Amino acid sequence: MAFGGGGFSMDAGNPLLDDYVLRLTGVQRPKVCFVPTASGDADHYIVRFYRTFAALGCEPSHLSLFRRDRTAATGDPAEHLLAQDLVYVGGGSVVSLLGTWRAHGIDLALAEAWRRGVVLCGLSAGSLCWFAEAVTAFHGAPRRVEGLGLLPHSNCVHYDGEPARRQEYRRFVRDGMCAGYAADDGAALHFVGTELHRAVASRPGKRGWHVARRGERVVERRLATVDLGAPVALAA
Amino acid sequence: MRTILALGGGGFTAQPGDPALDELVLQLAGSPVPRILFLPTASGDPQEQIARFHAAFGDRPCEPEVLSLFRLADVRRPLRDIVLSQDVVYVGGGSMRNLLAIWQVHGLDRLLRDAWERGVVLAGLSAGAMCWFQGGVTTSAGAPQPTPGLGFLPGSLSVHADGQPSRRPVYLRAVCAGTLAPGWLVDDGVGLLFRDMELERVVSARPRARASRVDVVEGATVVTAIEPDLIAPAPRGVSADVRELRAMRYGSPRD
Repeated sequence: MAFGGGGFSMDAGNPLLDDYVLRLTGVQRPKVCFVPTASGDADHYIVRFYRTFAALGCEPSHLSLFRRDRTAATGDPAEHLLAQDLVYVGGGSVVSLLGTWRAHGIDLALAEAWRRGVVLCGLSAGSLCWFAEAVTAFHGAPRRVEGLGLLPHSNCVHYDGEPARRQEYRRFVRDGMCAGYAADDGAALHFVGTELHRAVASRPGKRGWHVARRGERVVERRLATVDLGAPVALAA
Repeated sequence: MRTILALGGGGFTAQPGDPALDELVLQLAGSPVPRILFLPTASGDPQEQIARFHAAFGDRPCEPEVLSLFRLADVRRPLRDIVLSQDVVYVGGGSMRNLLAIWQVHGLDRLLRDAWERGVVLAGLSAGAMCWFQGGVTTSAGAPQPTPGLGFLPGSLSVHADGQPSRRPVYLRAVCAGTLAPGWLVDDGVGLLFRDMELERVVSARPRARASRVDVVEGATVVTAIEPDLIAPAPRGVSADVRELRAMRYGSPRD
């Protein structure tokens, strides 16, 4: 579940995306592990995660890769990840995220968790990381970065929030980046296996996009996006 | 000349700090107002470490700057310009494994080698000290274990010899087994000063802190104590206006 932005870290007070992803676990009291690597395990971020998720009826934990010697929890991080119902990856630097994960074998552990049915989600860097290729604009001009490749598509986040990203993403796809999906802030892409199942949004008007090359042109298609905040139509 | 100052621990990121070491770092730069860059990568760029850096160097004659690889969105200049324009690069402690992995993906390892070869002084403590050697002992995964470094300097280093004694047996075994090259064991507050590849001086900001050389002779580890030169900070005062500016910028000092 790849968030273009939103969830507790960007959109406090709007729990629709976080609720949606918790329901995907299909578990009454899901075990949720927050992975804040992309922020350098920022304390304030970890605290906000616990504040939010403790109130949502789950068993929250977090994985710190910077203070493993001081973290009482877990022991083997791979085992801990495999025991979760949901792994929630925070935003920040996707380049630092991937480098750190590889140094600790977290990339392999997450791939295994995904194969075993653990729900994986994240926003921003925590979205880009799951794809074969992605656009990062964390430092200077937007550039291409290779992700873990669990999803054989490309990805771009904050699609409505940062016009330069959108332009560059379209250019990258024209120049040979594989076709893929983008999401506005507040929208999220729900994949089952490697295929897009549906796009959802926590705010009206926010949506997901499909971007592909056709000949020399780039075709950007708006995805039908379910507004999670809309009242459910009553049966007549 | 290439210069590296490797600190066993302590320094400004610890309490109460070792101002003599901060002073030595600036003296090594050989410039009246050196540019000093702090890299808090190994701890994930925490604000607390950054605030301590500013508190330690903000009212000294230098131009302090911080490069946070987790907040590059705020950085306009290319990394190469930032690193190579310094007189000193000071690397904070934390997870050595994360430090090296993150540097590698951002190309910092190559930039730092260039900087060192051009005469930029490299300094650092704990993970930020061991990283310059062929290897060290890290607690990045919990229990202490040997791990490779960048290998700018020959040999290995194990830090916090006094504060975290569980590193010592792991280090001695690794050197004996050949997993790590022979090298040094240093306490908090101790600095090894290298000019090119040679250990020029061993200093300490703490009276009882020690360093040791560890070698393997005929299959057995031999530990030789080194008496460091005790260094003391020059007395200095912080003027009221500097204190006020710092309070405005970084908030009141806290533990």
